[in-house]
Amino acid sequence: MDITEYRFTKEHEWICVEPDDTGRVGLSYYAQVHLGDLVFLDLPEVGSKVEQFGKLGELESVKAVSDVFSPASGVVLETNHNAVDEPGLVNKDPYGGGWLAMIKLSNPSELDNLMNKSEYNEFMKQCEESGQ
Amino acid sequence: MQASEKTPFNKYHHDLHARMGDFAGWELPMWYTSILEEHKATRNAIGMFDVSDMGRIWVTGTGAGAFLGKVLTRGVEQLEVGSSHLDLMCLENGGILDDLFVYHLDADEYLIVWNAGHADEKLDWLSQWLEPNMNVTIKDKSRDTAMIAIQGLAVRQLKILKEVFQLAQFGVTKTHIERLDAYIARTGYTGEDGFEIVSDVPTGLRLWQLFIEHGIKPCGLGARDILRLEAGMLLCGQDMDASTNPFEAVLGWLVDLAHGDFIGKSALLEIKRKGIKRKLIGFTMKDRGIARTGYRITNSGEDVGKVTSGGYSPTLDANIGFGYVPIDMSSIGTHLEIVIRNRIVPAEVVSKRFYKRRR
Repeated sequence: MDITEYRFTKEHEWICVEPDDTGRVGLSYYAQVHLGDLVFLDLPEVGSKVEQFGKLGELESVKAVSDVFSPASGVVLETNHNAVDEPGLVNKDPYGGGWLAMIKLSNPSELDNLMNKSEYNEFMKQCEESGQ
Repeated sequence: MQASEKTPFNKYHHDLHARMGDFAGWELPMWYTSILEEHKATRNAIGMFDVSDMGRIWVTGTGAGAFLGKVLTRGVEQLEVGSSHLDLMCLENGGILDDLFVYHLDADEYLIVWNAGHADEKLDWLSQWLEPNMNVTIKDKSRDTAMIAIQGLAVRQLKILKEVFQLAQFGVTKTHIERLDAYIARTGYTGEDGFEIVSDVPTGLRLWQLFIEHGIKPCGLGARDILRLEAGMLLCGQDMDASTNPFEAVLGWLVDLAHGDFIGKSALLEIKRKGIKRKLIGFTMKDRGIARTGYRITNSGEDVGKVTSGGYSPTLDANIGFGYVPIDMSSIGTHLEIVIRNRIVPAEVVSKRFYKRRR
């Protein structure tokens, strides 16, 4: 999976934006490792509005529940039914088949608030060291 | 936060890149590869658990049996050498201090295995009831010994354990595993057949490696927690504590009111006479959502109790849990609700033994 164009949040979500300002959103590999086996995804209705860093949905792993946040503002175009039916997809293929939602971006300039791949790698190292 | 204690297997867990977490002050593996995989390994084959965090206390001397009869609600009068049973330590007011296993190792020699939490307080509590001339010695060997649990139906095909294939359920014996000395018992906390092994630390380390070489999958606390929940087993400190009495916790079978004058007896007699007002139940969720510890249980919108344990059961492919509710809402089939982050989700009271093994 080539993820060089992906952008990342500090909450370990990613977004991959197409030229038409639609963005595919998912969890980073690091996030799924730390959450452990996912067993339930609660994702927003198609058509609902989301804010950058606002709540997108909830994920239940075997151990705990956690919120997932949207990397950008916009309108939800689609959610990943395959992942809802089989949450383990998010663990198996977090950057590919385990994506969570497609969003039509309302303010593409917000992407500047996100980290690129190398910045995120650096950020992950800090997270590991501080044990988060 | 206090620094976590480490079990003898700590380095092995790190070498396996386990996801480590704190449990009752101990640094332990939550999972190695995946909770679901580890759960499956134990239900379908074998899983190995580092359970060295549990306290191992030797109670010896000619007065040991009488002493345990005084501090335990079930007592050891009926417990033959080479056998073990689950028992409770209660406070004078009948509140549960801990649940524990007593192993009758030899004449005048008992091993207590209790939960990791509040180890020092429990030792103090025990010592407090010692009297001169009782001829009882209490020795905490938790840090001089290691403990491994090997759980799952396939233990019966594990040739290195062939010496103990005939061991009865709850039996305990001193044995050799590939010439290594250990105590081995047919006990566990997963609802599966299996063994728990107590040995000195170097032996424990070699046994761990031996089991790994035999292809046994190490499993973490995450799997252990679901396995015991599915099997209807309570976790002390979570499903019961000093504010709970054994009858509410459905552990009345661990209280033998006919045996001698044990601590908590008069309070427990009184509680039994008056009857209990609330009771621990098992429940399954009837709609999506996983109940977690501390979530509110409601009945037609009114608060009636709290979830003490909850999670996703891979065996049942359902979301299950335990909680306390008023006695008139505790019968099987009762409809209740669990409040999952402001969402009210229907649940139904069921037998708390969600999973029973085939034999």
